Amino acid sequence: MVPILGRTLILLALLSASAGALVALATGARPSAPGWLWSRRLAYAFAGCMLLANLTMEGALLGHDFSVGYVAHVGSRSVPAWVSIVSLWSSLEGSILFWGLILGLYIAVATYRNRDEHAEYMPWAVGIWLVCGAFFSFLLAGPAQPFATVADPPLDGPGPNALLQNHVLMAIHPPFLYAGYVGMTIPFGFACAALFAGRLGEDFLRPLRSSLLLPWIFLTIAIVLGGWWAYEVLGWGGYWAWDPVENASFLPWLTATAALHSALLVERKGTLKAWTLTLIAATFLLTILGTFMTRSGVFNSVHSFTQSAIGPTLLVFLAGALLLSVALLALRIDALESGGGLTPGISRDAAFLGQNLLFVLFTFTVLLGTVFPLVMEAFRGTQMSVGRPYFDQMAVPIGLALLLVMGIGPALPWGRATGEQMRRALLPPLAGATAVAVAGFLLGVRNRWTLAALLCGGFTAQVTLREMLLPVRQRMRAHGESFTLALRSAQRRGRRRFGAYVVHAGAMLVIVAIAVSSTMSTSREVLLKEGDATTLGAYTLTFVKAEAVREPHRESLRARLEVVRDGRSLGALFPSMNFYERQREPVGTPAVRSGLVEDLYLSAHNIDPAAGTVALLVLVTPMVAWIWIATAVMALGGLLALWPRMRESTAPARSLSPGPAPALEVVR
Amino acid sequence: MRSVSPAQGAAPRTAVNLKVLAAGAAVVLPLLAVLALNLGRDPRAVRSPLVGQPAPPFSLPSTGGGAPLALESLRGHPVVVNFWATWCVPCIEEQAALTAAARSLQDTRFVGIVYEDEAAAVGQFLASRPAGYPTLMDPGGRTAIAYGVAGVPETFFLDADGRVVEKHVGPLARSTIASLVARARGAR
Amino acid sequence: MIAFVLALVAAAAADPQGATDPGPPAGPPLSGAALDVRTEEAAALLRCPVCQGLSVADSPSSMARNMKQEVRQKLAAGYDQEQVLASFERSYGEFVRLRPPLRGANWLVWLGPAAFLAAGGAVLLRTLRRPRGSQVRSAAARADDPAPLPEDPRLAQAIRRVRAMAGGSPPDLSPARKTPP
Repeated sequence: MVPILGRTLILLALLSASAGALVALATGARPSAPGWLWSRRLAYAFAGCMLLANLTMEGALLGHDFSVGYVAHVGSRSVPAWVSIVSLWSSLEGSILFWGLILGLYIAVATYRNRDEHAEYMPWAVGIWLVCGAFFSFLLAGPAQPFATVADPPLDGPGPNALLQNHVLMAIHPPFLYAGYVGMTIPFGFACAALFAGRLGEDFLRPLRSSLLLPWIFLTIAIVLGGWWAYEVLGWGGYWAWDPVENASFLPWLTATAALHSALLVERKGTLKAWTLTLIAATFLLTILGTFMTRSGVFNSVHSFTQSAIGPTLLVFLAGALLLSVALLALRIDALESGGGLTPGISRDAAFLGQNLLFVLFTFTVLLGTVFPLVMEAFRGTQMSVGRPYFDQMAVPIGLALLLVMGIGPALPWGRATGEQMRRALLPPLAGATAVAVAGFLLGVRNRWTLAALLCGGFTAQVTLREMLLPVRQRMRAHGESFTLALRSAQRRGRRRFGAYVVHAGAMLVIVAIAVSSTMSTSREVLLKEGDATTLGAYTLTFVKAEAVREPHRESLRARLEVVRDGRSLGALFPSMNFYERQREPVGTPAVRSGLVEDLYLSAHNIDPAAGTVALLVLVTPMVAWIWIATAVMALGGLLALWPRMRESTAPARSLSPGPAPALEVVR
Repeated sequence: MRSVSPAQGAAPRTAVNLKVLAAGAAVVLPLLAVLALNLGRDPRAVRSPLVGQPAPPFSLPSTGGGAPLALESLRGHPVVVNFWATWCVPCIEEQAALTAAARSLQDTRFVGIVYEDEAAAVGQFLASRPAGYPTLMDPGGRTAIAYGVAGVPETFFLDADGRVVEKHVGPLARSTIASLVARARGAR
Repeated sequence: MIAFVLALVAAAAADPQGATDPGPPAGPPLSGAALDVRTEEAAALLRCPVCQGLSVADSPSSMARNMKQEVRQKLAAGYDQEQVLASFERSYGEFVRLRPPLRGANWLVWLGPAAFLAAGGAVLLRTLRRPRGSQVRSAAARADDPAPLPEDPRLAQAIRRVRAMAGGSPPDLSPARKTPP
């Protein structure tokens, strides 16, 4: 019963998406009111079917209905309810179903919000969105079918992958990731619409930008959540290993960030339209590539789903999307350029271009490193690895350059900067740079790269603060307002700009925190017997005993360690090893004590209650918590920048139509 | 919603920008080719670089005590080196085939090396199911590392001069053993 | 400490795998804190064969720990990092090295980013030097340009100043009028 219901819903989704795509694309080519109406209805139908299908699956998971193929694959009676809920995205078919849900919701909302506007673009956009929707419905109907009927339903299932049950971050990382990843389909649709229509009008920039910013916020959070999960769960003490699947999530973030900045230049100078659309298309294509990387089994990765049949299908879709994008750009690029020029020489324009170049360089490098082993395998038959040492080595100079540009760009004026202006803009922040670097040096930083990061970070911090407070100071001077009042009104009126600088502040903190935490950590590996103690830094750890804990879905061996710092007891930490029924090697869960200054990280291998020993890895890493906090700051800044979208009541500064602007109807 | 006049909706007709097309093709086509060529390949199946090379020597203690067995002492005969463990189900399944082959292929020497297991468990296992050929312990896994073993069962077929002829990953059937030993014999 | 070193050396000498060494040890034997540091460094460059991507330094698996011990013993015997990495490469293949060694086609992955930067930088400089308004503009594109400045010079100047403050002076479409009102 339930499998049939699910399959029917998927088929209906496929039908409405396919029909809707055809209708919408036809309406784009030959506009008509009924065409647009039916495009919208079919889009909503697609979303509705996906929603119902997902609810059906969740119901089956919570109800342990093992007649449904996917539930038989990942369900289990012995796991807690929250694990059952998150099992929806724990394995391949369910994750595609979840993708369909997010896609449906995004399409429905984007269609609804723009139903009365941008008539020349919207049908094209809906058409492209529904093509994607149809593809994913096709996957669900065929190669990645979650609602297969199980002829002989088992009494119980194996439960999801053990690693995924270990920590609650498992519950929130994938939804954020999907909200970011899938959300990039919307700006792609808009970009294709602009290309089909042959123009990118100023009125269309706003939805294009907002539809890019919202998934960007989710993706930023998701990437760092993934790192946080790796840190809290995997037990090796780090948060980023440049694993192909991690890179898959990072690549679209890089091009999306570049696109957001490039879109700003489109808005201000009317130029770089085709480049911005290229970046947006690249972002979407990288999400499809990322999906391919994760699910095709072609890449060797910790996270990847097992090899599956959907690899070739995804590759065909990727090929189609790539070729369509290239064709559209080649056909329309000459029509798009408006010839508005960039300021020659050194100016903020140049900094924007430099930043774009760096982001694209970063994308190229990460992509090259990830794909290179495949190239060698395909063309020379040799198997080699491009691992963390390569990526770290490449990422550090690029990251530092980005940090510096983030400070230089906002400092420079928009127009051509005279020597005097440059001096006034770029010299004072050097004070901040030196202050931060010296502070770091006094606190023990000796690594050259970390000191460079502190220099650039201090520079950027001062510039960002100055720019953030500039409108506040202007208001205080012009209107005599108090600081708080000026801050509030400046933030209300210039929210986008303010939000952008909040994001910059967060990004600066993230880069500095990464630089410090990756070079300043201390570690020790010891074998302790009951009663033994070890010290690292200011911490003294005493191994009290090892105990076994039995839970319904796993058995844990915990080591109890008493923590003392500078004579004060900080309680006990319990690094553990979890044994799941289906896995030979246990899953180690580290115990982490996070602080603003530093983290104490304990990871235990080989807990032996009988012999009373534990092999312990102790890490003290400074500024790790800052990474998570700064990411929250970035997300907050993004939300601030997004907010005016909700209350759009004022017209943009420039007029759109070639007629007398209302602002110019001044009494002479 | 207001209707759109056809003139506004029609897209301008422009020529194809060949530079963009060429650049796009230059990026897209090689990428697709690389991805397509790699489909179907198991990224975890790594080919051994030892094939054709002299086999790493070892001198390891035998389970149940006695003098250590050195690979050198087996020179002049084809050798089958099988890495296994008691917790590995396919290893247990293939033991019968290996034992039978050891009995029938008289001039071939069979050696079992234990991978990441405890002597007690191994002793217990062999007491009930003797292998019919020497089983060696590998302290610290150093021999496994030297042979590039990443899992069990993995079996190496050496010729009479001590060169590795083939590395087989996964459980063995009698026919496979016979054909690979024949290859090792014929390789000198 | 000396006993420990001697024991290590003895173990290395009695090493049953002696013949896999790529030549005699290149440097002096290491011990103590230096040995720990160098072991971590070398282990970070080796890929754990059973873990999909983690380095030997980071992986908690028993295979990785055995490999790390092997690295430590080799370094203690005096082999340098390259020799240690090469010996693992003999057993596992090039796949076990996390940093692609500088030979053959691997140069592509090391020089690729620099080449890209050079090419991109050239394009960027050309874009910044290109004179304004030299591109063909379609009617639709022209429609997106900001409105021309009004006739009134005071108004034009005020608007220009507002636009500059808002960020970004559009191409100056009308000559600046400096005549007094």
